[in-house]
Amino acid sequence: MLALVDGRNVIPTIVLDNGTTLQEPSNAELTAALQLNDSKTKELTMTDQATTPTHDVIIVGAGPCALTAAIYTTREDIDTLLFERGVVGGLAAVTEKVDNYPGFADGIEGLTLAQNLQKQAERFGAVIELGEVTGLTDEGKFKRLDTTSGDMLARVVLLATGSDYKKIGVPGEDTYYARGVHYCATCDGAFYRGKTLAVIGGGNSAIQEAIFLTRFATHIDLLVRSTVKASDVLKQEIMKLVDAGKITIHLGVSIDEIAGENNEVTKVLATKSATAEKVEFPVDGVFVFVGLDPNSQFIKNTTIRRDEIGLVITDQNLQTSMPGVFAAGDIRSGATMQIASATGEGATAALKIREYLEGQSHPPQN
Amino acid sequence: MPKAVTIFTTNTCGYCQMVKKYLSAKGIGYEEVNLDIYPHRQAEAISLSGAMTVPVTVVTKDDDSQEVIVGYNLAKLAPAVA
Repeated sequence: MLALVDGRNVIPTIVLDNGTTLQEPSNAELTAALQLNDSKTKELTMTDQATTPTHDVIIVGAGPCALTAAIYTTREDIDTLLFERGVVGGLAAVTEKVDNYPGFADGIEGLTLAQNLQKQAERFGAVIELGEVTGLTDEGKFKRLDTTSGDMLARVVLLATGSDYKKIGVPGEDTYYARGVHYCATCDGAFYRGKTLAVIGGGNSAIQEAIFLTRFATHIDLLVRSTVKASDVLKQEIMKLVDAGKITIHLGVSIDEIAGENNEVTKVLATKSATAEKVEFPVDGVFVFVGLDPNSQFIKNTTIRRDEIGLVITDQNLQTSMPGVFAAGDIRSGATMQIASATGEGATAALKIREYLEGQSHPPQN
Repeated sequence: MPKAVTIFTTNTCGYCQMVKKYLSAKGIGYEEVNLDIYPHRQAEAISLSGAMTVPVTVVTKDDDSQEVIVGYNLAKLAPAVA
């Protein structure tokens, strides 16, 4: 098996009868490889708009921004379908605790917040389809979406796909994925009861998740490339754990490799930026929180403009360069990557979408 | 419809909720093994999946063969329980 995949140990790895090997394929890649799309059906839907499922609004994503937009559109009786390829609630749903979302004096579990948003949107009639949108075409009055549930048409599309956690891109990161290298503390932290960990990153997410992981791990080395850039509240909280000997913070550390033996992570190799000194951190596992990557790959072949890191560019109405396609939340260029901002943008997008559907002109602006 | 489905989960895992939601929406029953409640079964989850993560979904077919799905992976989960 390892010979087939150049020794890379990645789950899931799928080997097809024709010899093709796929590692962690997306739904779209798997659908294409298995030839699950019925070309005859597709041809028919391309020529007969009346037979294709059609909605007023299709929202791509079901995170806090998307769910908020859906609350607003469905309350206006605008037929709204959401597509979610991952977890409903997005990254908020896999965040242990959200402490800066207004209205929750003691904070709220990310999963609970996500479930509440979903319930609220569904109460007004939003429908969430578990699947993936793989392409988007402008057909004038309607936008055609290629999805894992077949082609669909929408008068308006809202891109609210948010972001995923970014990889660091060092040797060993892929090799030990899910076997010692992780990106979801709430999912995988429980496997490190009584063990030692490294958490890589210095932003709010890294600090928040490092604090959460002390529930399980006996000690955590927090490896930060420059300085800690978290909120003062989180800084104060983590310092209590530093004083208690549960966490050690290492600033100015650049990661070189995640190394291991016998399929298990044993250490992180790094370099101190100031002195170029090589250092090793013996640990049983590594959690990575070094920033976000926008989920905008599925529109890369469209006319929708994106910035240099792939975030979608919008005008003041949150409309993209494709008329009738809006973008909001973490996917939007200029977003502040906060849940409170995302829900606010979701509400704004819904109101702008209503204006668009009512025929008020929104000429795309450059 | 599978003969049996077992999901290894933890309390805080959002992706575990998605697997449960998907199965419930399809009317498929399942047994849940919450590793926060039964940590002694963690080794079993690792052995089945080869990974230190949840959710791990074990689908037992009519012929008693088993398919193990690691993570919330709809492309694998949907055909496995169809």
